Amino acid sequence: MKLVATQEDRDLSAMLRGLLAARGAEPSDALAAAGIFGLGIPEEYGGSGGTLSELGVFAREAGRALCPLATYSTVLAAHAVLMLGGEESRHRWLPDLAAGRTSATTALWNANDAADVTPALRADREPDGGWRLTGTADFVNDAETAGLVVVSGMDASGRTLGFVCNVRGPGVTMRPLTLMGGHCAACVRFDDVAVEDVLNDGKPLDRNQLRRTANAAVALTSLDLVGVGEAVLDRTVAYTTLRHQFGRPIASFQAAQHIVADMHIALTAARLAAQSAVFRIGRGDTAVRETAIARMHSATAAKWATLDAHQLHGGMGYVVETDLYLWSERARVLSTLGGGADVAATWLDDDEVSRAAIGERLRRKDGL
Amino acid sequence: MDFDLDANQLAWLAEVREFLRENVTDALRAEIAEHNLEHPGGEVAAFRRKLGAKGWFGLNWPAEYGGLGLGAVHLHLLMSEFEYWGAPGPDLTVTSIAPMIMRHGTEQNKREFLPPIARGEITCALGYSEPDAGTDLASLRTRAVRDGDEWVINGSKIWNSGAQRSTHEWLCVRTDPNAQRHRGISVIVVPVDSPGVRIRPLIAWSGYRTNEVFFDDVRVPVTNLIGEENRGWAYITGALDLERGALTNAGDLRRALDELQVLARTPRRDGSVPIDNPAFRHRLAQTEADVEVAGLMGYQASSMLADGVIPTVEVSVEKVFSSELRQRIADLGIDLLGAEGLLAHRNPEAPAGGRFEKLYRFAPLMRFGGGTNEVLRDVIAQRGHGMPSYGR
Repeated sequence: MKLVATQEDRDLSAMLRGLLAARGAEPSDALAAAGIFGLGIPEEYGGSGGTLSELGVFAREAGRALCPLATYSTVLAAHAVLMLGGEESRHRWLPDLAAGRTSATTALWNANDAADVTPALRADREPDGGWRLTGTADFVNDAETAGLVVVSGMDASGRTLGFVCNVRGPGVTMRPLTLMGGHCAACVRFDDVAVEDVLNDGKPLDRNQLRRTANAAVALTSLDLVGVGEAVLDRTVAYTTLRHQFGRPIASFQAAQHIVADMHIALTAARLAAQSAVFRIGRGDTAVRETAIARMHSATAAKWATLDAHQLHGGMGYVVETDLYLWSERARVLSTLGGGADVAATWLDDDEVSRAAIGERLRRKDGL
Repeated sequence: MDFDLDANQLAWLAEVREFLRENVTDALRAEIAEHNLEHPGGEVAAFRRKLGAKGWFGLNWPAEYGGLGLGAVHLHLLMSEFEYWGAPGPDLTVTSIAPMIMRHGTEQNKREFLPPIARGEITCALGYSEPDAGTDLASLRTRAVRDGDEWVINGSKIWNSGAQRSTHEWLCVRTDPNAQRHRGISVIVVPVDSPGVRIRPLIAWSGYRTNEVFFDDVRVPVTNLIGEENRGWAYITGALDLERGALTNAGDLRRALDELQVLARTPRRDGSVPIDNPAFRHRLAQTEADVEVAGLMGYQASSMLADGVIPTVEVSVEKVFSSELRQRIADLGIDLLGAEGLLAHRNPEAPAGGRFEKLYRFAPLMRFGGGTNEVLRDVIAQRGHGMPSYGR
């Protein structure tokens, strides 16, 4: 147990902060060159090695720097392939995904509730053993720019199977959805689409691994939300220190300081919770409890950090020539997709591990 | 970052739990509930002797000062577990005063005070606040004047918790009335049985006893001054940072929540079950999320202490977060239980012995005590983010 950042984490975070601040027109090239797409992917599959926690360091910096969300779509698709397997699929897809050469996205969980991993599509078996997908996957992130989609389908006997599909292949049509903040998602229709690959060597997917995949997305974007909040906190401190009213910096008013302190407290809570969730998922756990807590804290902390930042900036932060709203929109988008705090609170009810833990703790107090 | 306890820490936790299972008896619990730790020859005193014999009062001290040399994380694990069991563990004398003596004391201070503290023979009450110097502690007026080989002390202290059972006062006094407020302050250790010390009990809303203590020409040897004369402000603020960390481990919160999870599923006298109400389910879920985080904050602070850093901003965050959470838990407890939640503490009919009725009355102390949350929010903004002082 050691809850302070290691020197390696601090170095990685400083490197990423420089990289993300200096990026030019095509950020994904610089990220690919730095091996970001391969963080947490073992080297045998062409990744950069390391753990999911290192990808977490990236997520926090990505939120701070407003790194395009499409990066996550590809990274999460790669981790879906890694977590769901099997070996053949990993060797086939991960080298290009981990190098950032192929862009991808996922359609594995409900955009309203990441705990709902029931497939949206029907998977039909062909006489030759291949699979075809039919149905609609809604709110698929960055579908228009992705080359591949990692998607689940339900076969005739109700089993959940995982597939890799070409988004540009025949039978795939999509209706772009314009979301807050210019975030790109689409309602994607599959009409008898032939798949490129079946995950897990064609065997049904393990529900816990699916939950773990969805939880990885929730936990990583929770750390992104922490980065969003921290960036906004820093610029709010800077602005209120420069801005004078009544002959003194508005940062010297206790009311302003207490708003900043509350942002800091909420973001500390969110950061520890999200780092804990990413750590547990990286260790192989489904981490339902930790993920729920991470989302509950990060969604609330980041939204309120941005809204309180608007309050302390006043009109100066409300005009679009100040770009504060970009962080506010990212906070609202990421704290919604996959489920917000109220949805995440319900995940605690289906966490068998934590229910067992309560029982264990209560047994320990026998005689007390 | 590593969120797993290592094998060594797990073994330590098992040892602490084993000790508590064997030594937290019904008689001990009854005395804690009844007498608020005031029986010098009773169960609490015997329990403390066992802790002293195990060396647990000095468990995170270096061996040269009679300690076990275990880390801050070990201390945190022990404190959290003691809080969970409601057992009296190492107090502020060992967790915040002794480290200040180690860090700043003279050689004689260390030799004279540390070994008996490690044995549990010296316990200190914190003599900080005065009737006109509370949150604004630096305006304290209790004076110590040098007279030959002695300090002569006059003044009074308030909110002096534990004076009735402590052996000494860790007393904050003004030794240079002409220096700027923070600069003329020293810390002197004063035996409570010195002639001229008078203790007046003050009973708080929770039933908790604190005291006002008067010093009337109290004389102590000059060697009882800790460290250097007029440097006391640094020692007490350092001790306060450690105190906040020690006061705010989440063990008692975890315990209260575990009990609430059971009570929420237990039918009330009218047959209704609280958990059937979705609003209660949501509040319990939010409380789970908050207690989990309060625990992580404790691990974070103890990890930093283990690296030799006093985590001033981090323990301020932890203290504000956990003290406000404690009030929400107390409030939720009574709401969940409804009218039965009002059954008074120690009423045999009260669910969970009326612990939430009592907690509701106790929780305000933790929010304003040990540095008010308002001042700690200033600390977070000013020390954590460099926002300007407004002349507090």
